[in-house]
Amino acid sequence: MIYDVCIIGSGAGGSPIAYELSNAGYNVVVLEKGKYYKEEDFSKDELAVSRRDRFSPDLKDEKHIINDTDSNGAITRYDGHEYSWSFWNGSMVGGSSNLMSGYFHRLKPNDFKLRSVYGKIEGANIVDWPISYSDLEPYYEKVERVIGVSGSIKKHLFLEPRSTPEFPYKKLQENGVTQWFDKACENLEYEYFATPRAVLSKNSLDRNACSYSNFCGSYGCATGAKGSARSALLQKCNAKIIPEAFVYKLTSDKKNVKEALYYDAKNVSHSIKATFFVLSAQAIESSRLLLNSKNTYFPNGLANTNQQVGKNLIFSAGGSGEGTFNFKNLSKQEQSQLMQTGLFFNRSLQNDYEFKKNNKIYKGGTTDFLFEHQNIISRVLSEVYNDDGEIIWGDALKQKIHNTLTTSRKLSFEVFNDWLPTDKCFVSVDPIEKDKYGVNVGVINLYGHPHDLMVAEHLAQTALNVLKEMKAENIHYSISSNPPPNLVAGGCRFGEDPKQSVLDKNCKAHDLNNLYVSDASFMPSGGSVPYTWTIYANAFRVADTLLSVLKSRV
Amino acid sequence: MMMNRRKFLHIGFLGSLIFLTHGSDLFSVTTPKQTLALLQEDLFGYTKELNVDTYKYMNIVLHHSKISNSDKEFIKNGIKWLNEESYTMFQSTYTKLSSLQRQEVLKTISHTSWGERFIYDNLAYIMEAVFSDPIYGVSYNKGSQWLDFQSGLPRPTKAFL
Repeated sequence: MIYDVCIIGSGAGGSPIAYELSNAGYNVVVLEKGKYYKEEDFSKDELAVSRRDRFSPDLKDEKHIINDTDSNGAITRYDGHEYSWSFWNGSMVGGSSNLMSGYFHRLKPNDFKLRSVYGKIEGANIVDWPISYSDLEPYYEKVERVIGVSGSIKKHLFLEPRSTPEFPYKKLQENGVTQWFDKACENLEYEYFATPRAVLSKNSLDRNACSYSNFCGSYGCATGAKGSARSALLQKCNAKIIPEAFVYKLTSDKKNVKEALYYDAKNVSHSIKATFFVLSAQAIESSRLLLNSKNTYFPNGLANTNQQVGKNLIFSAGGSGEGTFNFKNLSKQEQSQLMQTGLFFNRSLQNDYEFKKNNKIYKGGTTDFLFEHQNIISRVLSEVYNDDGEIIWGDALKQKIHNTLTTSRKLSFEVFNDWLPTDKCFVSVDPIEKDKYGVNVGVINLYGHPHDLMVAEHLAQTALNVLKEMKAENIHYSISSNPPPNLVAGGCRFGEDPKQSVLDKNCKAHDLNNLYVSDASFMPSGGSVPYTWTIYANAFRVADTLLSVLKSRV
Repeated sequence: MMMNRRKFLHIGFLGSLIFLTHGSDLFSVTTPKQTLALLQEDLFGYTKELNVDTYKYMNIVLHHSKISNSDKEFIKNGIKWLNEESYTMFQSTYTKLSSLQRQEVLKTISHTSWGERFIYDNLAYIMEAVFSDPIYGVSYNKGSQWLDFQSGLPRPTKAFL
């Protein structure tokens, strides 16, 4: 059998295409490495999900090699298994969108023309996107409706242009402490707004509303309220989904991909033939598959004639911080507000999405605020050191745990800014190390540009001002070049010039007629927000392109 | 009576012999079970009041594929080194020391990198046991009640570990 479209990977990059094309009557198959879990399989089992990484492969079976380049240019090699350094995130049907917190921000118009607006930065490969914000806006709006985004529009300096006045779903219910936050921002004259969330605030789209379970990020959603690619798209279409199918090679001739070869759970090899192939296996793994698919026509890897595959890997730069509110400083009513669980905090700052420093305009970013994750085991374990940094146990530990967890709560913030693309940050393939399938593992070559740290530091200082104004105590933060494994993009950037990019502006490989890449790999820069909304929007855009191509073939 | 394979494996780790040496001399033989039970009581004895079966939890966790062999090996080595430090300080194995002496040993090893990690790992396993869902048959929500903590819903219907 020859499918119309074969999609490799079922996350936010692949599922919109499966949804649109199968609903248009085309024969679509989705190959997913992970298992097929549904709402009834998800619980808030911290041991399984957070402590034992239920939804990630064992590193002894599947790992990465990490080459970390420091600021002096020295490279240190880490074996991901040996150092327990994992870049996996949500290996299952629907991918990591099952586990996201669903903090949804659009990119801004200037994010599409970073080079033109903010100029060249030494050592960074900054380019403008081949499309503009207005090209993607209709698809951002589509995601709001189809995936389901809850929020409330509040005008601010960097609010992006919208084709609709409001979100289709009202904002989620909020914890009372948001009022303290709002007041602090108003005192500081900072523009804040309620963070849009890909979580339904009411029953809709044949899915249930949020149950305010108190455990959202890192956990699968048992109500279906979270707009995962599985619940919002794959369970709403007739695409054939084959779980536990690890695609290890794409075969091709000079101009077309011919088949996807995959191993099933028993390590038996299968072949899928299709007219079109869409690769959306997550940025690192998509590049790895192309590099591992060398053949006579593509000796450097599929779609890699100009040796661009894997290049310009990016993450979200930034860091995080927190402050603590203690009962001793609060009224009874405030104590009650503080300990109210289940309701969301949902506040963001973007007033420094662009900022001026020493008479120069810099691209800034986003800061999201949220309560410390409710995971009880990790919260308890954060108490095992005393103020002098010494480990404690016995009664001293018991009292510290009880006092901290029953009379205080931490408010955290996360900074998102551009991780500048460079020649030193890229995906390659290890010539020796293999995974449990016998396939060469991916190598993640890491480097964080110093500019990223400067911007993140600026954003963090703004966040600290808010926590101080709120009278939080024990405020601290960390800015670093540590790559967040759930915020990875690039490796197959799109562009007009085949010598500088892997994909054309429609995300079709320059080298091949029937290969598209629709996960975050296409992004030349990441904006200064979490990527998922943009991945979804772009995948809907690619789906429209593919629909046109398929229709034109009749 | 025939012993099933799983039960055998459980006894296999916690009941296996650890040979303790001082310099090149063998001074004693112990099992992880004896030392671990007392160590965990010393580190967080409140588990008894919370009715938490940490021994059962260690049996579960030490035989799960998600716990790496190196982590398992570290526990075993840690028990050996703890006893050897006890011998160096008080010429006896950990289980034969007084409560005060055991605290002295713990304080001493907490200032070494292996000792700090060993204590942390044990506390982590203890807290996992205390706050594990009742489906695991180790703890029955008394830990959550102690901290007035509301577990997330839905609860698991099947034990993962």
